[in-house]
Amino acid sequence: MAGLLRRDMLGVALTVAAIMLPVAGAQAADPIKVGVTITQSPPGSVVQGTQVKDGLEVAAKIINDAGGVDGRKIELVIEDTQGLPEKARAAVEKLATRDKVVAITGEHQSSAALAGIEVAHRYKIPYINTNGWSDVIREKGYPEVFNPGNYNSRVGAAAAATMKELGVKRVVSIAENTDYGIGLAKAIGEALKKIAPDVQYKYETLDRASKDFLPAILPMRANAPDAIINLMLPPAAYIMMNQLYEQGVAPSAKTWLYDGSGLADYPDFWQNVKEAGKGMLVFGLYHPKMAQPALGKQVGEAYTAKTKNEPNRLLFQAADSLFLIADAIKRAKSTDSEALIKALGETKYTGTRGEITFSKDKGYAFNQWLDVPYVTFQLTEVNQKVGDSALVSQAGQPLDPAKLWKPAK
Amino acid sequence: MSGIDVDLAVNGLITGVFYALMAIGLSLIFGILKIVNFAHGEFYMVGAYAYTLIALALGVPVWIALPLAFVVGALLGWLTERTLMRPLYAGYTSWGLMRDEYAVIVTFGLSLFLINFVDKVIGPYAYRGPPLVETSRVVLGPVLISGHRLLAAGIAIAVIAVTAALIKWSFWGQQIRAVSQNRLGASLAGIDTAKASVIVFMLSGGLAAFAGALLSPVINASPDVGIFPAIKSYIIVVLGGMGSVPGAIIASLFLGVIESFGAVYISFQYRDAFGLILLMLFLLFRPQGLFGEKGREV
Repeated sequence: MAGLLRRDMLGVALTVAAIMLPVAGAQAADPIKVGVTITQSPPGSVVQGTQVKDGLEVAAKIINDAGGVDGRKIELVIEDTQGLPEKARAAVEKLATRDKVVAITGEHQSSAALAGIEVAHRYKIPYINTNGWSDVIREKGYPEVFNPGNYNSRVGAAAAATMKELGVKRVVSIAENTDYGIGLAKAIGEALKKIAPDVQYKYETLDRASKDFLPAILPMRANAPDAIINLMLPPAAYIMMNQLYEQGVAPSAKTWLYDGSGLADYPDFWQNVKEAGKGMLVFGLYHPKMAQPALGKQVGEAYTAKTKNEPNRLLFQAADSLFLIADAIKRAKSTDSEALIKALGETKYTGTRGEITFSKDKGYAFNQWLDVPYVTFQLTEVNQKVGDSALVSQAGQPLDPAKLWKPAK
Repeated sequence: MSGIDVDLAVNGLITGVFYALMAIGLSLIFGILKIVNFAHGEFYMVGAYAYTLIALALGVPVWIALPLAFVVGALLGWLTERTLMRPLYAGYTSWGLMRDEYAVIVTFGLSLFLINFVDKVIGPYAYRGPPLVETSRVVLGPVLISGHRLLAAGIAIAVIAVTAALIKWSFWGQQIRAVSQNRLGASLAGIDTAKASVIVFMLSGGLAAFAGALLSPVINASPDVGIFPAIKSYIIVVLGGMGSVPGAIIASLFLGVIESFGAVYISFQYRDAFGLILLMLFLLFRPQGLFGEKGREV
């Protein structure tokens, strides 16, 4: 065990040392400015924005504490987008023209990312999409945009596979009315057509600003599906879940509740849902029992020390985004945009979640890390920590029905 | 009427009751001050947080936290009136000279301030208030409803009834009505119009906060939680007739039921548009609303 720990620490030290290798001595004193667009105020997801910010700050500290990149510190220039496309567009414009950042990252909402990449593409500045899941971001085919985070087709395939393994016949997705929600609902439909064509599938789109979803839920109570897939983000997702539970729709003996939005990662999850979350199956991009590289463990520990919270998926995605930029600068031996984009395209880097490379296939796979690891777990008790949940499907493994729990009535 | 129609009607009426609790305060403020309070939704938000935090963080029983949320909203109303509203009409006795157009900017600014203040001080995370009763489901024939929602609707009806009675029969209620009819005339008759304004702002803030508190186990308090209810309240106040409390109550119930049925039989996507369509139709064919007076001051 001690030997393993020493080997892990050695790996981390080598990784960080590799990032710090000399790039260009002339600008050694100047910090490397990296632009960050995140949601720091409503109506976008401030919770996500906070997690991404923490992840970037943890990664920046790790890099800077180890001497920076070629002796140059990483400086984050943060802009609040409020999750709004128009604000995201303006933020990227400012970062590119006024702040002269070398790359932009952090975006965690698809609608904002779709607006931001247009500006990044115009200025030909590297854009690392931290958490915009919409396939359309990739389908644009912009060479400046790289995607080390999750993507809708991946969740679509995962959700469809889970539905097939559960043996359900009728599935309803409840999606928020955003590029992310609608795109994901469609991706699940496409995946189901391929691997489980007998499953009846439809999706409902709901306004994420709404506070009452009963009119959408009542018809489901009259004719409950076998599974409901949540594709909404908090706080709307919490309200919807509570109303599903109050109406006896899901989770129930008849209907599974499957979450495709990473709700269990949110620190306010249990306070807001209580019994309504018990029995929920979760598409998980992070689980403490997942195999993780040494850098991931280091980032997780640093995050817990900084915030006193358990690590979450966005922490690692954000940290990887910054590590990738630092790695590309090191290999390009330059902060020039063209050189950085070329270096990013040739990435082969072991980050916090595994070895990251970018596909050059067209469509949703363009500049995408295709093998983003995921698991399926089930929350079997109220207030249960993710680490204590039932891991019903390990990364790359089929679902284990023996581990599933369902309410008796 | 099928089972789902009964369900929709009951849920629509309950939603309407909550709309009414929220809209009455807005209507009262317009009636007496002739301004639209754009921070009304944030009084609701403050009430939701006040109830939730008093009950959860301080461990105060919910039946004490609930009236305390009303008190917090009333105090915020008092503070708003004294610091932001009164300077707009201080020194003037005539409505003709009141700088009410500034009130729009002031209250809009207050709304943004409160949202961002709560976001920074309490945080962006949502908080679910503790329910008044732990019964998760009550079966009433074809209707399945959460115990809290049912009880909250009953309390809301009682509060609305008491408020309406106070405005109609109490000493201060009569003075408020006099000021809303003619501020200058009421002033000449010896009524303290400034005091009436303070009472209305406190009552309005208290009712909005009380609505937020009652619904916090359903809507989960978050910094932007008041935006949608406020928009609904503006629609209701126009539909019911600007300044008319009975109009606001009837318009609230009407809107709740229309939204409930429209969401199922037309589209949930357009649920929030139904109120706006009604608003446009009323403005075209009955601009004074259901109970508003047809007239215009020059």
